[in-house]
This record gives sequence, structure tokens and C-alpha cells, in this order.
Amino acid sequence: MTEKGLDFVLDGNAAAGLLQEIFALDITAAQIQCEACGSTMAVGSLRLYAASMGAVLRCTHCDRIVMRAVHTPHGRWLEMAGAGCVRF
Amino acid sequence: MEEAPISRGFRSRRPEQTTKNRVPPGQYVTTDFPVLSAGPTPQIKLENWTFALQFGGSLLGKWNWAEFEVLPQTMIKTDIHCVTKWSKLDTTWQGVTFDDLLKAVGAAKPAAAYVMAHSEGDYTTNLPVADLVAGQGMVATRYEGLPIPPAHGGPARLLVPHLYFWKSAKWVRRLRFMEKDERGFWESLGYHNYGDPWKEQRYDGD
Amino acid sequence: MTAIETAAAPARRLEWQLAEVREIVVETPRVKSLLLHLNSWRGHLPGQHVDIRLTGDDGYQAQRSYSIASPPEDELLALTVELVDDGEVSPYLIDDLRIGDRFELRGPIGGYFVWTVATRGPLWLLAGGSGIAPLMAMLRHRARRKVRAPALLLYSSRSLEDVIYREELDAMMRRDPDLRVVNTLTRKQPEGWTGHRGRIDKALLAEAGFPPAQNPKVYVCGPTPLVEDVSRLLVELGHDPLTIKTERFGPTGG
Repeated sequence: MTEKGLDFVLDGNAAAGLLQEIFALDITAAQIQCEACGSTMAVGSLRLYAASMGAVLRCTHCDRIVMRAVHTPHGRWLEMAGAGCVRF
Repeated sequence: MEEAPISRGFRSRRPEQTTKNRVPPGQYVTTDFPVLSAGPTPQIKLENWTFALQFGGSLLGKWNWAEFEVLPQTMIKTDIHCVTKWSKLDTTWQGVTFDDLLKAVGAAKPAAAYVMAHSEGDYTTNLPVADLVAGQGMVATRYEGLPIPPAHGGPARLLVPHLYFWKSAKWVRRLRFMEKDERGFWESLGYHNYGDPWKEQRYDGD
Repeated sequence: MTAIETAAAPARRLEWQLAEVREIVVETPRVKSLLLHLNSWRGHLPGQHVDIRLTGDDGYQAQRSYSIASPPEDELLALTVELVDDGEVSPYLIDDLRIGDRFELRGPIGGYFVWTVATRGPLWLLAGGSGIAPLMAMLRHRARRKVRAPALLLYSSRSLEDVIYREELDAMMRRDPDLRVVNTLTRKQPEGWTGHRGRIDKALLAEAGFPPAQNPKVYVCGPTPLVEDVSRLLVELGHDPLTIKTERFGPTGG
């Protein structure tokens, strides 16, 4: 989260801390396919929103959600319905 | 669980709380109005804006901006609480209450027990109708007397201040009645289904 | 989702550990570098960042990310912090923190925004304000390994006194004819300033930068508006978006 509590769009790379809690491999360097438009891009380059609540990662081409993640005291949640293949 | 080591001399810079009984547990008062969005800010033109109440396949009511503006207006001053721990006191809003929306469509009572709020884009949040009636919920179009800025959910957002603010869906476009509760955007990803700040219901399992 | 290939090396498990402040360097009136010692630091790649976590004695916690400004060759880990007015964490780090203090840190994080000397080709770095931090890790790494491939830093700052690492960058340039540093000052320029003024624009990119034909690896870091403008202009100038990596710091530069 940025200093003033303002949640501007960031890069997927800024979600790396949260994602690294979930994935054994460094996912930010992985290539991910957007299920909606078929484009492939690095997870680190996805547009990251809502970083203070978790991570909402959107396709750089069509802005649809590719991946979402939340860290809660009761467990970590991950949803990748918007993703096709991931290549590490 | 081990306690985190204390950082010498670090303390919250947020203003001293003189209104402790208005601040739910774990919250800190801010004078800012932080912006938090799950997606890019939509630029909605008023001439294209519509708002609807929906149940199953039928439209209970639909308004364009001009029509919406002539519905009964209510002003409230309230405190808002974000799950990310900031609270903002004495915020003023104006809009159309859920009760007045029901009256406008001639519904003597709500069509079902739950509502899913749908926003421009893909954001959703679910609420029991019981938490929208009796003045608890409104579709707000003004903040501090001025049109709500797009970053804060303008032209219209849901306002349900007694729950965590993620339930006050920005850029709301329709309220869909549901007979069975379904989880919305954050509720399906680990956040609490109901979200009462006074019970600190931030996450599923709290 | 289909099956995942597991060819890559596993990421290290992120654990919080204690960082101890060993040195504090005043870089500019609003910026300091904190040089940290960590007991179990296993190294990092230039461009990566860390998360830090501060806990008050009332239990209040704040967490922020900071880019690592030091190269992997250095023993102490450097974080370069800019004071943000009304910020929650930076005033503590800039005004209150003392040598010997400790706070929690985890990392290194982020394998995407990374450059090492193993990567071929010209290196083009574009920074706004404190966005220089991860790019400085890259330049320091390049200098330590004495790599000679062409490199260019285009650095936007408010005024000359706000240029972070100014003397070090000048010294790097003097020692290395393959490194160019071009500064642009957006708000205030000293008398007799013959350098660039105003924001990084298309003309400056075209004039000072590598042409697309040279296929530079491009890294852009700074406030979100700057990063988005610069990326867009680079693509308009014909650079392949896949060769441009961005790290947005949000509205205030981190």
C-alpha cells in the first residue's frame, strides 16, 4: 500500500509479497494468459488494484480480472478463474 | 502466535481519537478520504447512466439520471468504516433511500430477502434487505454537498454505513433481489459475508 | 487452469526477520538511505524490493514496500526512503529512526522487475523522484561487475537538490564512458542550467534515448502518472511493450 493510503493502480510486481506466500515458485516472472482475450503477459506486469485489501490483478490489454488474492488471518485465498495457462 | 517485535518509538500518526465510542474496534480515525478500487475508475456520462431494481428476469424499476434526481432526496451525516482500518467521522451524503426506491416502484415490501449490488465493471457486493430498509441504505449522489467524484464512486454509489465500507458499492448500477444469499466480489474471496465493524467482522471466520 | 510446469527454481520462502539500522545516509533534504544488517539474508537481484513492518507499543502495525537500492555485491542492504507529508511510515523512518534500531523486514520480493549483468543489450532506465531506488541497485551492480554495454539513465526530479545520488551518479559517469545520465528538472532549475527542464516528454525520449532498433531493455520506475506517460510515449516511439518493465510507486513516489 502506498504512503498516503491512496490505492492507485500499481504493477503486479507489487503483489509479489502476497503471491509469494501462496506460490512455491516466483509467480511474478511467470507468463499468464488472460482467459477473456487470450493475451499472455508477465504476472509482474499485470495492473494491480486494491492492494490494501489483497490483490486484484487485471489484464493489461482488456482490463478483465486475471487473478485475485487475499491474505486473511484464517487463510489465504486465491482465485484464478480469469487465467488460462501459467508458465513459470 | 508470537508477538511482532515493537519498533521503538513508532506510533500511528492518525489523529488522536477523542470520539472513542464512535470508532469500532481496530479502527483509526482519518481526516483523509482514501480511495480504494478493485478496478479502473469508470468514466460514466450522466446521459448514459441508468439505475435499476431487478428481481429474477423482471425489472422492478429503472431510472435515468433526470428521473433519479427527482425522487425523494434524503441527507444524512454518518461515520464510515473501511475494513483496511480507517474510519471517517461526520461524512455527509445525499441520495435516495432504499425505502424510497421501493415506494417509487410501488412495492409494499421487498421482493426477496437479499440483494446483490452490481456496479459498473465487475464489482458486486451482497447484503440482507433487512440492512437496507428503515433508512439504513441509500443510493447516494452527493458527498459534502457536491456530486460524488468518480474516484469515490460517482455519479452514484450505494451507501450502507453501518457495515464495512466495501459494502457501499461504488458506481452502483442495479440492485438485484435474491431469494438466497450469494457472495459478492470480496465476500467470495475471504472477506466476511456480513461485515459488522462493531463485531470486527472483517474476514470469513471472524 | 491447465497444469503448471515446474522448471524454474523455487522462490525462497518469505519469512519476517529483523533488520538492524547500521548507517543512515542523508541523500537530499527529504530523502535518506537506511543501511541495514540482516542475520539471514540470502542475497537479492537488482530491482527487487522488500516489505517492512513496524509495530507500535499499542499493537498498531503498518506495512510498506521499499525497493532495495544496494547491489547484491554490498554487505548492507540499502533502502532509500522519501519523506511523504502526512505519511504514516516515512516520517518515522526519516525523522525518528536511529542507528541500532530494528524493524521487521521480509524479502527479497519480485522476480519480474529485475536486471542483472547476465542480460544482454543496452540498458535504459527511466526514473521519477524516488523511483530511482531499484534502478540504482541495477547501476551499482553494473558498476561493480564492470560491464561495458551501453546504459542510459533518464532521471526526472523536481530540482537539482532533489536529485538523489547525484554525486555518485556523476562519479559513475566519469569512470564509465558507456554510461550516460541525463537529468531533467521539473520545478526549479539552478541559474545557468543548460540541462533539460520539465517532465520527460516524447522529444526528450527521442533525442536522448536508444532507438527501438537497438532493442534496449527498458525499466521505468516512479510515480504512477509518470510511469504511465513514459511507457505510452515509448510505445508511440516504436518500442516493443514487451521490452518495457514498469514499477509504479503509486501517487507519491513511494
